[in-house]
Amino acid sequence: MSERVLVAMSGGVDSSVTAALLQEQGYDVVGVTMKLHDDGADVPDKPCCSLDATSDARRVCEQLGVPHYVLNLVDVFTRDVFDDFVREYAEGRTPIPCVRCNTFTKFRDLVAKADAIDARWIATGHYGRLDTRDGERVLLRGRDPLKDQSYFLWGIPRPVLDRLLLPVGDWTKEETRAAARRFGLRTANKPESMDICFVPHGDHVAILQEHLPADAPALQRGAVVTEDGRVLGEHEGFARFTVGQRKGLPGGAGEPMFVLEIRPHTREVVVGPRDALARSSVAASQVNWLAPVPAVGRAVEVQVRHRGAHVPATILRADADGIDVALGERVHGVAPGQSLVLYDGDVVLGGGIITRAGRGALPVLAA
Amino acid sequence: MSHSLVYLDHAATTPVRTEVLEAMLPWFSTRFGNPSSTHRLGREARVALDEARERVAATLGAHPDEVCFTSCGTESDNFGVIGAWRAQRAGGRHAVLSTPIEHKAVLAACHQVVREGGTERFVPVSRDGVVDTDAFGALCDDALAVASVMWVNNEVGVVQDVPALTAQAKVAGALMHTDAVQAFGKIAFDLRTLPVDLLTISGHKLGAPKGVGALFIRRGVTLEPLLHGGSQDRGRRPGTENVPYAVGLAVACELAVAEREAEVAHLAALRERLESRLLAGMPDAVIHARGATRAPHVTNVSIPGTDAETLLMALDLRGIQASGGSACQSGAVGHSHVLEAMGVAPEIASGAMRLSLGKLSDEVGIDRAADVIVTLARKARGLAAV
Repeated sequence: MSERVLVAMSGGVDSSVTAALLQEQGYDVVGVTMKLHDDGADVPDKPCCSLDATSDARRVCEQLGVPHYVLNLVDVFTRDVFDDFVREYAEGRTPIPCVRCNTFTKFRDLVAKADAIDARWIATGHYGRLDTRDGERVLLRGRDPLKDQSYFLWGIPRPVLDRLLLPVGDWTKEETRAAARRFGLRTANKPESMDICFVPHGDHVAILQEHLPADAPALQRGAVVTEDGRVLGEHEGFARFTVGQRKGLPGGAGEPMFVLEIRPHTREVVVGPRDALARSSVAASQVNWLAPVPAVGRAVEVQVRHRGAHVPATILRADADGIDVALGERVHGVAPGQSLVLYDGDVVLGGGIITRAGRGALPVLAA
Repeated sequence: MSHSLVYLDHAATTPVRTEVLEAMLPWFSTRFGNPSSTHRLGREARVALDEARERVAATLGAHPDEVCFTSCGTESDNFGVIGAWRAQRAGGRHAVLSTPIEHKAVLAACHQVVREGGTERFVPVSRDGVVDTDAFGALCDDALAVASVMWVNNEVGVVQDVPALTAQAKVAGALMHTDAVQAFGKIAFDLRTLPVDLLTISGHKLGAPKGVGALFIRRGVTLEPLLHGGSQDRGRRPGTENVPYAVGLAVACELAVAEREAEVAHLAALRERLESRLLAGMPDAVIHARGATRAPHVTNVSIPGTDAETLLMALDLRGIQASGGSACQSGAVGHSHVLEAMGVAPEIASGAMRLSLGKLSDEVGIDRAADVIVTLARKARGLAAV
């Protein structure tokens, strides 16, 4: 009897091809689409989101002759992902909800659903790969550097690697689309969605205005200051800014200015020239490991933002609670709330949520 | 391993019965006329429509002119509530009265009345989902245009005392509507003796196709039409009449009434078998509205420590098809407003499954369903405990 795989299907081309490929390979495919939020929150009787995407997933499954279900994960997604997103911006950080969705919603809550239907495997359309090294399953970067999504996957529970399938991770997007056409999938030419699924038109401030109190500091006016304390002007709320951002700052400084730091307690947005963005060390908390914890002093590569450079680094601290690394080259614009992900070549070692970044090396903890 | 399918969702819909389909077929093809046409094909269609109206009326104890064909139960409910309210608002009766456990077709119709300047009143239900007649009566006054109470609840099967509630509404001079979509064919009634003013039925719960329903409109009751157009159905419901579906509804209604007694006894025995097997395997299972009078075809059961969404998925993968509370348009299982109104705790309500019996039900299927539900529920609890 073939092994059952639960395929998380967004209605996009990547997860559609994932389902089709696994079925072709002989798996007993069960497609599910997660309902994560209510687009129609103002219409209580019609709590439906992304109807068309769900319909696409259902139709792909019908074409493949496999079952499809919609799972209502609104409550847990709201608790673990959405509320955190709002809270992080309120505290002056720049969260990545996709990381927490993978960590909690997909690879914990959805895995529990897989258990309930005796699915040995769980699959998604992420561009990452799995391999076995020294007898252990490891997560690798996607083959296509332009599509690699391993940066978003560092937080998944390590045991899940033993049952995870990412079949499109070996491909480029074009190869995935070609496979979709070969399978005759209706989603073959669907445009890419780069937005956060619950942030329409990329306007995260509108979401915050809806979900934070009107007098929340993150949405109040504050001062735009230089590092030496000069006031350059005012801003309309620090939640509109992220470290490294240039847009929306007052001019007149004589050179382009960038956000260096957000100080939520004083509502100050600290700015400076591009050179002042450079950082040589990064610290992270809320850590997860997908491989043996690297030793202090070990040389690794790190990535501090999606599609960011792969930067050589040295481990200063690595344990269950925190990571400190010294960067081998200076990196501009390291935003608290983003992810610090550690790699050994293509292998994802683990990661954490960035708490701070320093201009010099962070102090090495006493052994 | 192959499974025979077990269909336990008759309250959602039923297959079209052979007799119904055969009666409908000529009116799609060779006898396709428009009942408003004066030529031969038109006359034939008109006669078929009138005859269908008579046959449906006879099953209700109504005059033929009291039967208005509609497209579905939702249209009938909307027409009954909104049409009755609009026709009376000028006379000072601004309120509608209903219960929190109605089908969305009635709840949303009440909300529409509010949007148009009226008021809505809801009488609470007991923990078993029963409307208290005195509490209902206390909300009936000379400001009430129409009251609407569903005879048999579609989620838990609870039966309301519609004759007593009707008497309360009539004392206050208000109109009484009942959604009898789940009651027709299960509960005996005769509109010659029951003074309900408006009553909804739906074809596809009875073995007629989806897309046809009817509203009984008592003589002398005026409704403001929802649609505006030609003079079909005395101008109450403009639009070319759906002759084949009206014919199909007539046959389905006649079969349902003729078979009612035997069907009720059969389904009640099957449901008893199902519930006792579930309780034997899962003694702490909660059968909702069990203390009330229930129609024989519905059981709504929560197994503490399980969630319905997961259980329904696992059941379907084993060939057993049932429903959760209410599905949202995306297909996700939503929370049940009915169980909430009955005061069921959220963690129990989230485990609620509706199993509804009908023509496709037999002992073999019931036994298999009960065994699989118990097995899966035990497994789900084991997983949840990890």
